Amino acid sequence: MILTEVAKSAWRSLASNRVRTLLTMLGMIIGTGAVVAVLGIGEGARASVETRIRSMGANLLTIRPQSASGSGGVRSGAVKTLTRGDAAALSKLEGVKAVAPENSGSAQLRYREKNKNASVVGVTGAIVDAKSLTLASGIAISDMDDEQRSRIAVLGATVARELYGNASPLGTRLQVNGVAFRVVGVFAEKGSGFQSPDDNVYVPLSTHQKVLFGQDHLSTISIQAESEAASANVKAAAERLLRLRHKLRDDQENDFDVRSQTEMLETMNQVTGTFTALLGSVAAVSLIVGGIGIMNIMLVSVRERTREIGVRMAVGARRVDILLQFLFEAVVVSLAGGALGVGLGYGAAALLASFGQWTTVVPMYALVLALGVSAAVGIVFGVGPARRAAKLDPVVALRFE
Amino acid sequence: MTTPTLFVDKLEKVYEAGSADLAVRAVDGISFTAQKGESLGVIGPSGCGKSTLLNILGCLDRPTAGTYRLDGRDVQDLDDDDLAAIRNKHIGFVFQSFNLLPRMTALENVELPLLYGSVKSSRKLAAEALARVGLADRSKHQPTELSGGQKQRVAIARALVTRPSMLLCDEPTGALDSKTGRDVLDLLLSINAEGTTLVVVTHDLSVARSLRRVIQMRDGRIVADGPAAEVVSAFIASEARAS
Repeated sequence: MILTEVAKSAWRSLASNRVRTLLTMLGMIIGTGAVVAVLGIGEGARASVETRIRSMGANLLTIRPQSASGSGGVRSGAVKTLTRGDAAALSKLEGVKAVAPENSGSAQLRYREKNKNASVVGVTGAIVDAKSLTLASGIAISDMDDEQRSRIAVLGATVARELYGNASPLGTRLQVNGVAFRVVGVFAEKGSGFQSPDDNVYVPLSTHQKVLFGQDHLSTISIQAESEAASANVKAAAERLLRLRHKLRDDQENDFDVRSQTEMLETMNQVTGTFTALLGSVAAVSLIVGGIGIMNIMLVSVRERTREIGVRMAVGARRVDILLQFLFEAVVVSLAGGALGVGLGYGAAALLASFGQWTTVVPMYALVLALGVSAAVGIVFGVGPARRAAKLDPVVALRFE
Repeated sequence: MTTPTLFVDKLEKVYEAGSADLAVRAVDGISFTAQKGESLGVIGPSGCGKSTLLNILGCLDRPTAGTYRLDGRDVQDLDDDDLAAIRNKHIGFVFQSFNLLPRMTALENVELPLLYGSVKSSRKLAAEALARVGLADRSKHQPTELSGGQKQRVAIARALVTRPSMLLCDEPTGALDSKTGRDVLDLLLSINAEGTTLVVVTHDLSVARSLRRVIQMRDGRIVADGPAAEVVSAFIASEARAS
């Protein structure tokens, strides 16, 4: 039996029941569409986090407070173990190039009639190097600003755009939780995504702690090692020093968490990966539903075409020919549905990227996966009906009304 | 002596129905041979086993006992795939209800057996078969666009496209008016005259009479086997006595 006849017969059967074929495919379209869109969102989130972490350089260590009894999760802000004293002590370690302490908090911004809630980060002069920030205009916050507790602010690109539009914010007075700050600079855009520096407002650390929030602790200490090679030693030395300073006994766990950029990357990838897998598996359930729909229709089709099967057998079709014919039909429906679903998923991902704050990247493996799974669904759910057709007794099939 | 097209010896088909004494003997020990080029009618009342015999001769069904040789080859013990190949190459079926596949043109219907047989230049052979039955100009038409007689001609073209040794016809004129039926019968006879063995199961005695030989069946057995005119006349006489 040549393949073209199998293909033609599948096409005839599917084309003669257009609405039914389309409805059957719908399950597959929605299923693969959802899977592709979810994978696209997950991959996009992963990629944007990765670029940002990578852009900060490989020799960067990040220290965050962590509750000693915690189960490993990073709960910055909830624990108040890191201080400026820690930061000062860390800066004296061998192999350390710069130490950038920061503390962040959420505050209400107001410029004229415009309001915005944003993350306000208290920083010292070291932040520019540590986070690889570049100025679009104006000047950055210096250590002197920190010493003098100046009420000045440098804006992230998104904040500047939302409050000022195209006008220059330099020299204006920005209200942060009711306190007036003079805007002295704007950072260049770093790219959108989760916890982007573009969404932050930077003020001197001392001002942040004493004037705005009345706190002494830090949310993060970034350490820039002199080289990537030195960073492992610096990490170990920093842990020893902090344990000493925090007076931790040998049997006590760290009340802080030191991570290199690579480790940060791994953690973030784990989080986004788990998230993507979870959402993806929910979406995959609809593929199974789609497969059941195909099986249902194929069973109907086998019954409707019993006489045709009998005739084909009478003129010489072997059982395997009949099996292949119906299996092919099921796979065509599921693959076509899968292909349309991939298109739909792409569209949904693109739509989310253009309307939402999401970065979406549909990875190549998602396409291969979606189409592969579609074909597999067609085979798994098509083989039952196809076997039923192939097993028909030709005498009975020919008499079927 | 040449190999007979059909050699049937003590053929039985028994349907088990629970216990042995409830078994139905649809074909109960039938023996006959048919030479190449013979035209053979099978007559008898409904339920006499004609259809079961036809299914076995057509390799759609297997006998429970006995020997069946088609073109000298034992077929009673072949597996499903071999039977499919025999049906494809050695037998052509013509049904009462035509059994053309819908949504396929006449040409595609005729071509189908060649595709299952993986025959090369199937399109050309199908066109030739369609021309043989006088429907070359209808090759692009679908079954719904053809008259009953034309449909049966397409079915006959499909049956003879693989050049089988035997045409098996089940009431080939049963769904046609008498004029069209006569034309279809003439077509079958002319194909028979070219050397293809013809077996026709029919209720229509005028059809049976136009064949060379007729077998009369009753209760799964052959009760008469001879020249068509004799068997049919005897049959009519016995029917008249019975009523």
